[in-house]
Amino acid sequence: MFRPLFLIASLAASAAMADVAEVVGDHILPRHQAFAQAAEDLADAAEESCDPRELAPAFQSAYDGWMGIQHIRVGPVEEEGRGLAISFWPDPKAMGERAQRDLLQGDASRLQPDSFAQQSVAARGLTGLERLLYPTQPWPSDTCPLIRATASDLARLADELRNGWADGFGPLLLSAGETGNTRFLSQAEARQLLFTQVVTGLEYIKDQRLGRPLGSFDRPRPERAEAIASGRSLRNVALSLQAIREMVAALSGDATRTLAELDRAIELAEALADPVLAGTATPQGRLKVEILQQAVDAARQEALAELGPALGVTTGFNAMDGD
Amino acid sequence: MKRRLASVLLSTALVATPALAADPAAVVSHYADMAQAEYTDSLQAARDLRAAVDRLIAEPSEETLAAARQAWLAARVPYQQTEVFRFGNPVVDDWEGRVNAWPLDEGLIDYVADGSAQNEENDLAGLNVIATPRFTLSGTDIDATRITPELISETLHEADGVEANVASGYHAIEFLLWGQDLNGTGPGAGQRPHTDFVQGEGCTGGNCDRRAAYLKAATDLLVSDLEEMVAAWSEGGEGREAVTADPQAGLLAMLTGMGSLSYGEQAGERMKLGLMLNDPEEEHDCFSDNTPNSHYYDGLGIRNVYLGTYARTDGTKLTGPSLADLVAEKDPEVDRQLRAELDASVSKLMEIKTAAEGGMAYDQMLQAGNAEGEALIMGAVDALVTQTASIERAVGVLGLSGLAVAGSDSLDNPTAVFQ
Repeated sequence: MFRPLFLIASLAASAAMADVAEVVGDHILPRHQAFAQAAEDLADAAEESCDPRELAPAFQSAYDGWMGIQHIRVGPVEEEGRGLAISFWPDPKAMGERAQRDLLQGDASRLQPDSFAQQSVAARGLTGLERLLYPTQPWPSDTCPLIRATASDLARLADELRNGWADGFGPLLLSAGETGNTRFLSQAEARQLLFTQVVTGLEYIKDQRLGRPLGSFDRPRPERAEAIASGRSLRNVALSLQAIREMVAALSGDATRTLAELDRAIELAEALADPVLAGTATPQGRLKVEILQQAVDAARQEALAELGPALGVTTGFNAMDGD
Repeated sequence: MKRRLASVLLSTALVATPALAADPAAVVSHYADMAQAEYTDSLQAARDLRAAVDRLIAEPSEETLAAARQAWLAARVPYQQTEVFRFGNPVVDDWEGRVNAWPLDEGLIDYVADGSAQNEENDLAGLNVIATPRFTLSGTDIDATRITPELISETLHEADGVEANVASGYHAIEFLLWGQDLNGTGPGAGQRPHTDFVQGEGCTGGNCDRRAAYLKAATDLLVSDLEEMVAAWSEGGEGREAVTADPQAGLLAMLTGMGSLSYGEQAGERMKLGLMLNDPEEEHDCFSDNTPNSHYYDGLGIRNVYLGTYARTDGTKLTGPSLADLVAEKDPEVDRQLRAELDASVSKLMEIKTAAEGGMAYDQMLQAGNAEGEALIMGAVDALVTQTASIERAVGVLGLSGLAVAGSDSLDNPTAVFQ
């Protein structure tokens, strides 16, 4: 399963498109490798023990790994609903919990790998595991088999992402503009795709991870923050910002203003002592989250103003254009 | 401000180009004509729906209910083709939530099956206004003893800042005509009986007078909302002005509508998500089982904008200067590919429609393990995703940098892009 790094290096060296090659070789592939490894470790740990306290560190590491790549919404993660199956959030209608309740009570054969992979995306992945490892209400039966099935399914998904990038989408991006590449007709198309991930990733942090709990001044919605049960709401923001920063640096070493804005946002996130963004409910705490949100938006605007022109591209359509 | 900036930047591209056979100004003007015609057809169909609803309320019977449902289905045909105008045109995007918002917590409006009106983020998901003339909303006492278009649009719609509180538009009316579809991923649509509208003795579901009043008010509101949009695209209207004042910005709005609807909205939010959840509630026209048509006419609308063609409800065909002409002049290969891809997505969406007409309801296609249904839906999803890349190429070919992505600063604040 493990893909030697020299293969990655040779991929990167093959094209005269340093920006795209650096992003793929130095950012995307190693971070997918890290996530796949962490997910495999989590699945191994779940085989050893189902005790939530013992599994928590491996779960947290796997979630960290996902935050390293979650801003990349194209390629293998778009196929077969993998992205949704790894993290299904928000879930206001509690579809995940309902589906898990059903899985815990019904036919146990659905927990077999092939069958489990066909279950609703809402029931699976990190969001599914979080509900099992950090329960906010009692489950109707022993959760151990479901924890194991979910962890193993997550490891499979992470492995497919890694391999999909190493063997498929990575080479496709790197051969942009070459004869036979019908997906990317020019190197600019490859750059545009990566640039769009930066802008969309920042937009997602601003509108979803921070915007949802902020709600409005009159009606703050702290309960809508991401990953509250596992205490990761703010950590997800900080890690995702760091990952996006790494991607920007790989795309263009000259995007100094964008990098500076990102550094500022990262600093603010790290200094904020509000792990689940509960402060959004109070005027003072809210102000701090709003300042962070503004910093994220400033980084996004700077990326549009500086990084895009440096790469000779503008943003393309993104998967979050919908309602 | 934003238009001027864009035009300054783009004027160099224009100067460098030899005389064009197809003129951007003529293309955006024809686009506005198409929008006007499509909203006019939608308005006429909504008026027909209102007449059918009036007959249903005056004389509830299986026949009048069936006729009202038929009128609703007919009204969806022109309206769905207008969805492509939504992204890229703020005048449409700001208005659209009133007429076509989805998904909805229908328990806000009327009775629902036990346990089905759940939404952790919506305290009003089970309010049932039809059965509740007085209630408290965010600390304010609401008098809903009279159900009026104003009550629906100003108080109920998006109440408590929750988007799932959809009180108006096509889907609210659809729910009142069909009721909940309780067949899961099995065949069959909603089964609301006509007796839900019978006044006095024989009334089922309770509060038939208030249900009739709600349906009437929601239908009146749909008509007046559509009147507003027809005006926006008529001579001097805001939508027409916005795209014709600066043809380059207008072309960008056209392509933005095509790309955003194809990818994030249609392929992603409406089609793939439902499939991945295997959830029939994620079906777009979930009460009526009209989803295959709704998807199909969305896709057709995307192609219409590129080709500059629209078949009106009365059968006449609108044609004129098109994006296709402009793209073909600059890069025939991109034009050829995009045309082929648009044809492919329309044909894949047609396959879903045909399969549904042949007996496999859209809910059934969503069922876990229905490989044939999954292939049908994913075939259309893939085609829509594929054409998005070519739409991006068309943007480049026409020299329209600074792609306007709905809700992003590249649209709201082009200075950020061009600084």
